[in-house]
Amino acid sequence: MSQKLKRSILFWLVLGPFAVVALFPYAVMLSTALKPGDEIFVFPPTWLPTRLAFENFVEMWSATGFGTALINSLLIATAGTLLSLLVAIPAAYALARLRWHGQGLYRQFLLVAQMLSPIVLVIGIFRLMAAMGLVDNQWALVLAYAAFNLAFATWMMSSYFRTIPKEIEEAAWIDGATRMQSLVRVFLPLALPALAVTGIFTFINCWNEFVLALTILRSNEKYPLTLQIFTLVGGAYKINWHHVMAATFAATVPVAVVFALLQRALVRGLSLGSVK
Amino acid sequence: MRSDERKTTMLDRTRTLPALLLILPSLALSIWIIGYPIYDVVYTSLHEVNRFGRVRDFAGLTNFAKLFADPIFIASLWRTVLWTATVVGGAILLSIPIAVMLNEDFYGRGIARVIVMLPWAISLAMTAIVWRWSLNGQYGMINATLFQLGILDGPVEWLASFDTAFPIEIAIGILVSIPFTATVLLGGLSSIPADVYEAATIDGATGWQRFRYMTLPLMKPFLQIAIVLNVINVFNSFPIIWVLTQGEPANSTDILVTYLYKLAFRYGRLDTAAAMSLIMFAILLVFTAAYIVLARRSEEKGA
Repeated sequence: MSQKLKRSILFWLVLGPFAVVALFPYAVMLSTALKPGDEIFVFPPTWLPTRLAFENFVEMWSATGFGTALINSLLIATAGTLLSLLVAIPAAYALARLRWHGQGLYRQFLLVAQMLSPIVLVIGIFRLMAAMGLVDNQWALVLAYAAFNLAFATWMMSSYFRTIPKEIEEAAWIDGATRMQSLVRVFLPLALPALAVTGIFTFINCWNEFVLALTILRSNEKYPLTLQIFTLVGGAYKINWHHVMAATFAATVPVAVVFALLQRALVRGLSLGSVK
Repeated sequence: MRSDERKTTMLDRTRTLPALLLILPSLALSIWIIGYPIYDVVYTSLHEVNRFGRVRDFAGLTNFAKLFADPIFIASLWRTVLWTATVVGGAILLSIPIAVMLNEDFYGRGIARVIVMLPWAISLAMTAIVWRWSLNGQYGMINATLFQLGILDGPVEWLASFDTAFPIEIAIGILVSIPFTATVLLGGLSSIPADVYEAATIDGATGWQRFRYMTLPLMKPFLQIAIVLNVINVFNSFPIIWVLTQGEPANSTDILVTYLYKLAFRYGRLDTAAAMSLIMFAILLVFTAAYIVLARRSEEKGA
């Protein structure tokens, strides 16, 4: 037996239990989502349904308000990500390309900001949003998500920006481009991969956020997906778990597939940005 | 100013004013959305606030005193220590072998990487909802599977008592912390040049010796950073416990973040909750300081 084959068998024996636990939620989602409604509350429960109830997904869509919540999630996460990048790009450029007084201080400010999570400040954030009349307003989430992802985005992008050779920009200036022109036409196109990786991570963070959405939003029609699905299992006397699992399946599998496809690039990007 | 001025290009000069203009939007947004709430929490913690959020009299440190006289707060504090230590400890211990394996060449490594990273893509709230259903005492698939394997003979309400609920929450916490931890460690492993190992193998070092005396010391800065960042994340982690048990039964699974939320938005005691926020903020600052020191040290080593 070759060395590599032996090693593969050994590794998979060790990784096996972990893989089972990591994949278990997907099996549960799929099993319950495809069971006819009257087979959910049968004792003892079984893994396999008697028939595949694809209609659960159709019923779930209207019963849980899935479409509205999906659009809300997309809008909030996209707006939060764009605002965060918009504010972080110039800051990252200043960190990577310019030398200035207070640079060290600004770095430490970013580190501290990165450590803060919304939950610790949730009271202050809520009172701020209340004072601005933004309770039950999705813009409150957009602002908060942009602010809390700002440090991470600036940090990631400035590490990348440093890897882009200065000479390329300088050549553009010699050719008569202004600073702004060379920034927009020469520098940013080269930085596009960095913007993409940072944007995807920020988007996933916004998409998955829970505490602030729970605190600030009041009306169901404004809820993003995480909150909408949480509400389904929150108060109801009888929970329609086949709808809930169909909804979690529909909400998580697209993200998981995108993540799996981009995994190599994302992980490489993250370790470059965070560790270097 | 040094004399090699002729070598400096436009990019190398000290340019404080343009830089300040560039960082201004980020400072403004942070001060508005993060800075003001910090001020507000400090202010609230020093005042008496009624349950509708109206600030009454200056209260000095009364809110802090009330908090330390509250047995649920003290219990939550200790439980947070237990939660953070076990989740971070478990995640690190499991991530080391996982990262070492993923760094080697074996059949199916691509799939293994995807599986290990998968929990990362999903929101904690969703993961917790699926686990809550899996752990349902009557109809959950955990019980179903354990029946079929003959391990259980009656239904177990996993989430109804601390003794089963909290260890399960810790296990789920470990599961969702592994992707990030393994990524940081993998980044560290891939920076160790292969010829170091080849030399050691030629010198007759066994696999364990190589791990113990080469990999582990070289990984130390990455381990330290993974530990500190995980401590901060896990300390702040709210959705797992909130979705699974909401800190119940009888506050027995509350950690600081869940008790803070209840205090503020369920019991309407904003002033005491603000005091609690500040205490947590102070704890986080200590970890942040530790991170800054460690990061600077590893930067110096790398340079």
